[in-house]
Amino acid sequence: MTRDEINAVILEIIADIDEDAETTDINADEPLRDQLDLDSMDFLDIVMELRKRYKIQIPEEDYPQLASLSSCVNYLESKLKDF
Amino acid sequence: MVARPLIILGGGLSGLAAGIRHARFGLPTVILERHHRIGGLNSYYYRHGQLFETGLHAMTNFAPRRAKSRPLNILFRQLKLSRKSFITHEQVGSEVVFPDQALRFTNDIDLLRAEISHKFPASAAGFESLISAVRDYDPFLPRPVLSSRRRLSVFLPDLLLVDMLLWPLMVYGNSQEHDMDWSQFVIMFQALFLEGFFRPAGTIKDFLDLLLAHYLSLGGKMRLEAEVSALTVQNREVKAVRLSSGEEMRADKVISTLGAPATMALLADSLPGCPADYQGRMSFVESIFVLPAAALEALPKRTCIFYNNHRRFDYCRPAELVDYGLGVINFPANFKGLPPHDTAQIRVTHPANYRLWRQLDRGRGGKRSSAYKAAKAEAVARCQAAAGEIIGNFPENIVYQDTFTPLTIERYSAKAQGAVYGSPLKIKDGRTNYDNLFVAGTDQGYLGIVGAMLSGVTMVNQHIL
Repeated sequence: MTRDEINAVILEIIADIDEDAETTDINADEPLRDQLDLDSMDFLDIVMELRKRYKIQIPEEDYPQLASLSSCVNYLESKLKDF
Repeated sequence: MVARPLIILGGGLSGLAAGIRHARFGLPTVILERHHRIGGLNSYYYRHGQLFETGLHAMTNFAPRRAKSRPLNILFRQLKLSRKSFITHEQVGSEVVFPDQALRFTNDIDLLRAEISHKFPASAAGFESLISAVRDYDPFLPRPVLSSRRRLSVFLPDLLLVDMLLWPLMVYGNSQEHDMDWSQFVIMFQALFLEGFFRPAGTIKDFLDLLLAHYLSLGGKMRLEAEVSALTVQNREVKAVRLSSGEEMRADKVISTLGAPATMALLADSLPGCPADYQGRMSFVESIFVLPAAALEALPKRTCIFYNNHRRFDYCRPAELVDYGLGVINFPANFKGLPPHDTAQIRVTHPANYRLWRQLDRGRGGKRSSAYKAAKAEAVARCQAAAGEIIGNFPENIVYQDTFTPLTIERYSAKAQGAVYGSPLKIKDGRTNYDNLFVAGTDQGYLGIVGAMLSGVTMVNQHIL
C-alpha cells in the first residue's frame, strides 16, 4: 500500500467511526484528537479496525504514534507494505 | 475449529452493549438471556393490548448531537450506532418538593442555579464551587469510598438543600442507604443536573429492537430462554457455561451482568467476600396509572416530581412495606415534541421493603398468595392518594392501573431482593477471582441506561479487546 492509500484508509476509518467527522480539512501534522474532538476510546477503534481489516497488531505502547495523520502513515507504512 | 466465543450472561442493556462492542470487530459473541425477552430491568410487557415499559422513566445524560465528548455520544460511536438518526425528546422540567421548599430544574443548569440563589442565598456561591468540583473529578478512577453528605456540607451551608439535591440523585441510582459515595454522586450529578433527562422517540421496545437488530447484523448470537445454571472452571479460568437444559457451551471469556450475588450463585468464590456483602437493600414499588391524555391538563406540567413529606429525609429501606412519604411522580408524556396520544401515564415510585413483601409471599414462582395480592391492591390505592396530595387528585379518570413490587422486580430481572441498583459495594475494575470472568452492569458501578451500556462497552475495551 502506498502512503496515499494508507492516508485514505485512515480517513475512511475515521469517517466510519464518527458520522459527523469533517475529514476534508484535516491538518496532517496536527493531533487528530484535537481536530476531530475524539475521545481516547475512539482511538482504540482505529486500532481495532486496522486489526480487523489487515490482521495487524498494534501494541499499546505504540498508540502515541497514531496521534496525527502523518505519524499514522509513517508508522503503518512498513506494516502495510504487502497489502 | 471454530473459535470459542465471548459469552455474556444477561441480555439487559449492559450485556447488549458489551455484545455489540465485541461483535463489531468480527469477534464471536453469544449473549445468554434467561427470559423470552431482552432488556433486563429496562424492558416492557403488554396488558390489555397496551405496551408498558419497565424501568424507563426518563433517560439521563442528555447530550446534543454535536457535543461529542458527552457520554451519550461516546456510547453511540463506540457501538457504531447512528446518533444522527436517534431522535431525542428533552424533559419539560422537573421539581424537587419538600415540606417547606421546592426546587425546579431543567436540562439547563442555569434554572437550578437561579432557584438556589433565590431560595438558598447562603449556598449560592458554594453551589458554583460544587459544580466546578464535580466537573474536575474523575469518578471512574478507583478511589476510597467518601461520604457525599460530608463533602456537600463543606460546599452548602443549607442542609435542607443538601437533602433536596441528594433525593433525585439517590433515587436514580444509589444502592447505598442514608448516604452516597462521592464518585456515584459526581456521576449522578453530571447525569441529571448537568446533562439532564430525555426520552428516545418511541418506546424502550423500539430501542431494544434497534440494539438487537444491530447486534445480530454484526454477527452476534442471542439465545433467549437460556438460563445459566453453573460455570465450569479449571484452575483460575472459566472453561464453559452450563445451561439449565444441561447443554454446555465452551467459552473463551465470560462477562456476567447478573450482579454480584447472582454471579456468586453460579460460582461461589468468583468474588472476594460472601454474597451478603453485595446485597443491596434499596427496592421500590411502582404504580402505573393510565389516564385520558386530557386529564393531564389540570396537573402540573412536569417530567418528574421528587417529593419528600417527612420532616427528616432519609434514603433507606423503610420499616413498613412502602414509604408513601417519599416518592417520584413521573409523567412520560411530558417531554418536548412528543406526538399526541389518546392516553397518558403517571408513574409513581416509592421505596419499599423487600423482606416484608417476601413474608407475604414465600413462593418464588407460580401464583401469588392472597395476602400479597391484598397488600398490592392497598399499595395502589395509597400510592394514588399520596401522589394526589402532591399533584392534585386524579381519581375518576383512571383507565387502567398496574403495580409492581420488589418481588416483581426480583422475578423479572436478575436483581436479588429486587435491589434495582445492585450492590452498595461496586467492582469498579470488573475483575473477579477468575482470569477470564468479568462483571459489567449495575454492580460494576455505572448506573442508568447510558451508564449500564457504557459499563458493558468499557469492560469489553479493558478486558477483552
